[in-house]
Parts: sequence; C-alpha cells; structure tokens
Amino acid sequence: MTGENKILLVEDEETLAVGLEFNLTEEGYTVTWARDGKIALELFNSQEYDLIILDIMLPYVNGFEVARKVREKSPQMPILILTARSGVEDRIKGLELGADDYLAKPFHLQELLLRIKGMLKRKMWYKEAAHVQPVYSFGDNKINFENLECTTIDSQLRLTQQEAMVLKYLIDNKGKIVSRKELIEKVWHMNPDIETRTVDNFIVRLRKYFEPDPSNPVYFISIRGAGYMFNTENQ
Amino acid sequence: MKRRRSFFYHISVFVVSQVAWLGLLGIWIYWYVSNYIIFEKAGEKLSPEIVYNGTKVLPFVGGIILLVSISFGMSLIFRHLNVQLRLNNLYDNFISNITHELKSPLSSIQLYLETLNSRSVPAEKQKEFINMMIKDASRLKTLISSILEISALEQKKIVHDFHAYHIDKLINELLAGAAEQYNLPNDAIKIEGGTKSRCIVDKNAIKIVLNNLTDNAIKYSMEPVKINVKFRTQFSKIIIDFSDNGIGIPSEELKNVFSKFYRVYGDNIPNVKGTGLGLYWVKEIIRNHGGKITALSDGINKGSTFRIELPVYNEFIRRFKKSLLAKKKQKKLIETTENRL
Repeated sequence: MTGENKILLVEDEETLAVGLEFNLTEEGYTVTWARDGKIALELFNSQEYDLIILDIMLPYVNGFEVARKVREKSPQMPILILTARSGVEDRIKGLELGADDYLAKPFHLQELLLRIKGMLKRKMWYKEAAHVQPVYSFGDNKINFENLECTTIDSQLRLTQQEAMVLKYLIDNKGKIVSRKELIEKVWHMNPDIETRTVDNFIVRLRKYFEPDPSNPVYFISIRGAGYMFNTENQ
Repeated sequence: MKRRRSFFYHISVFVVSQVAWLGLLGIWIYWYVSNYIIFEKAGEKLSPEIVYNGTKVLPFVGGIILLVSISFGMSLIFRHLNVQLRLNNLYDNFISNITHELKSPLSSIQLYLETLNSRSVPAEKQKEFINMMIKDASRLKTLISSILEISALEQKKIVHDFHAYHIDKLINELLAGAAEQYNLPNDAIKIEGGTKSRCIVDKNAIKIVLNNLTDNAIKYSMEPVKINVKFRTQFSKIIIDFSDNGIGIPSEELKNVFSKFYRVYGDNIPNVKGTGLGLYWVKEIIRNHGGKITALSDGINKGSTFRIELPVYNEFIRRFKKSLLAKKKQKKLIETTENRL
C-alpha cells in the first residue's frame, strides 16, 4: 500500500526533517521535504500528495494557514499536524481548520508511523467508496462525496473528511444497525474499546445538517443499546 | 483570543469608570449649587440674624479635588494594568518560543535514538544521525546556559574577567571563531577600518555578543549572509558597526528589539527560531562594559546595523577610578555614621 504513497513533510527543523525522511522512506513512502510554509504551498499546488505532515511554527506562512489553504483546495487531503505546540487551544484550532490528526512533539516514532498508516488506510477506503457512488441523495439532501459539498433543504455546506466518512459508512450499511464500536473500528481504524462519545458527537452533527427536525430524527435513528441505523424508509 | 478579550474588557471598564466619574462630578456640582441656593434662601427666612462669613467655596473645591484624585488614581491603575498586560503578553510569547526551542531538539534526539534502536541503520547513516544528535544536544546546552547566564547577569552574580585588548586584534579573532562556529564561507565576514586603541573587556562576554549578532544575521537573511564590520575610535569611544544584508528591521521596532522576550513577527521573517533573549543579553553585556548598543536599519530588506560603543582604555580606567572613589566615599560615610551611633 505504501509504495505509491507520497508524503509532503513540512518541517523547518533540519535535524528532525532528516530523521523523519529516513524513517518514512524506510517504510516505503516517497517523501518531499518543504522547509517553510511558502515552499509547502508551492509544492502542494504543483504536485500530487497522499498525506501532509505539517509543523505549525513555520517561516513565512504558518502551519495553520497552510492547513486552511490546503483544505480550500482539497477537502480530502489527510493532514497530520506535528508540532511542539501542545496546548488545547492549538489542538482545537488545528482540528477546526481541517487537520485530521494532531501529534505533539516529542513523539514516539512507532506512534507516528501507525497514525500515518491509519490515515492513508482511511483515505484509500473512502476514495474507493466515493468513486463507486460520488453523489448520493436522500430526502431534500444531496451529498457529493468527492468534493464533500452538500445541499440541504435550507443551506449549502461542506462536510469535513471525518463527517463524510461516517456518513458514507452509514449509507453503505443502509437499513442495518451499526454499533458505535463498529464505526470506531471501521471509520476511525482505532481500537474499538476506546470511549465512544466521539461517535455520538458525529451523529449529532449529521442530524443537525440533514434532519428536518434534529430532535426527532428520521434518517439517523438511534437503536437503544445497539447503535445507529441510517434509514430512508420512514420518509 | 483570551488576551484580546481581556484587553477590551479592561478598556471598557476604564471607559465606564471614567463616565461614572464624570457623572459623579456632575451630580456633585449640581447638588452643591442647588443646595447652596436652598440653604441660603432658607437661612435668610429662618434666621436672618445669622451671617455666615466663612469660605463658601471650600467644600465645593474640596469635593472636586477628591473626585479628580479618584480619577487620577483610576488612570494610574489603568496605566499599570496596561503595562502588566503587555508584560504578560511578552511572557506568554516567551513560554511559547522556549517550548518550541526545547521540544524541537528533544524530539529530534528521541527520533534518532528510537530509529537506531528499532532499525538496522547503515554505518554511514549512523554517523550522520549521531552528528545530528550532537548538534541538537549542543543547541539545548546553549539555550539552557543562555537562560541561566542572563538570570545571573540580571542579579549581578556574574563577575566579568576584564583585561586590556587591542580591539582590532580581538574582534578579528572572535569573528574568525564565529565564522568557524556557524560554518560561514571565507568571504561572508568582511572587516573594514581599524584602530590602534585598546579597551578593557571580558573576552568571553564579547564573544557572546558577536556570536549572537552573527546568529541573528544568519537567521534573518534570505540570501547567503554577508556581514560587514567597521570599527573606529571617536573621542573616548570605540565604535563598532556590525552590518548584515538581512531583511532589516522596521523603524517602529528599532527600539524594541533589545527588550527582554521581544521578537519581531511578520510574513517576511525567514526563521521562527528564537526566544527573544539574544539581543537583550547583548545589550546587558555591553551595558556592563560601560558601553551602548543601538540598532539601525533603512527598512525592510535593506539590512540592519548594530552599533556598539565601548569606552577606550583611558576612559574605562577613569570611570573605574571614579566608581571606586564613589564606593570609598560611601564606605567612609557608613563608617562615620556607625561610629556616631
């Protein structure tokens, strides 16, 4: 899987970049190193990448700005923020701007490699799933899984990569009960034993976007003690 | 975001308090004038025989003085609060920068150790990785010692090892060392002018000054760095101009660059490394030598010049004797007072 994956490594610390480049290359990835935000954006605009590892404190254009500009152009590009700034405010800002994951320095090499692997796996699954059926409609809602743009009864919005993946998984399992653990395992590619409030938060967001009355959902139904079910039969 | 909110909060509190104060002043004047008229009329009717000849304006003026004092007090508190907020802001930036400066080399060392531990790395690469770790460990060491030395300098715990040197020889030697330390090509540092003057300095401290200025020139240059050092004697001073071809300093920032924790931010800055302590450290060292440092720049992308002024040998000795004499006098005064007691 890693043979064709290209990673854009945006890091201004030369010593760290050399070590990361070596390890990522050893894992079979093709790595391009950008030492500042300006070079990173130039490379991103001129070449194709499968994942971006992004530092925040960068010369010329900071990492938050790079993430924002990348997201504008490519909503599906997996971005992993790797930074010394570990404060909650920074984490929230990074994730709000569309980063898929956030890892604070100093980090463990194995953890970083596993996270990259998971992100690429998710991207691959989503790409394949979205390619089969790029546009899906239910009720007054229309979702384009390629550019993540949605039209609902009263608005137009753009889903985040993670929201789109949850939605896609539920749609693919339409009419079936999907447990929280299953979503954690299949969409997040994480250990299903971790706490499951994350899934509930995503369902709340999807209901807010697509349900005519989010407090009385008709599409994203809770099945007590079992999980959730996407259903269009009740409409 | 939090800081921004609190700043506007304090501005609003100040404006509201000033409005309240003006209101209070208005009420006071209104109350005094209206009641004075009432008392005068009522007094005339009730006891026309009582004539009050005291100063009638005293309570009125007293009230106004009191209210003005309150306003002055409020302004003073507000001013101090603003200074405190500015300091907090600088301190927060320092913490953020120092975190970055400590965590980055540490991450790199950890990465290489884990790599060497978990992979079979070719011997050539191993050597490269070890050199990277040495570089990062040295960066950490420099950072930690700079913090400790600045702290000692501020608490006057550092005793300089002063000796007399021929300034041109010393500067040449120290700049050659800086060029070697920062791997600069031979033509990167050019020295112009010269002086036969001697001065009294701590060689290690001046080395820190020149290394910091060289490091700054490298960090803030987009092109390969070019440093030009000129020195001359002017009256009782030796003037050293340390110029670079870097991005320059905006005129409004020239005074601030020597402030503790202060850093210039902008989209044209080619490097984000730093703690905001380097130039402060330089300024403190030069001050301890009885000298002065100023920053000059023609603007963005026009380079910067740091002008160091140091007293020549005779001037240094004269000042030293003067300070010794002052200390002697002070000691004598203390002894006389103690004897009297």
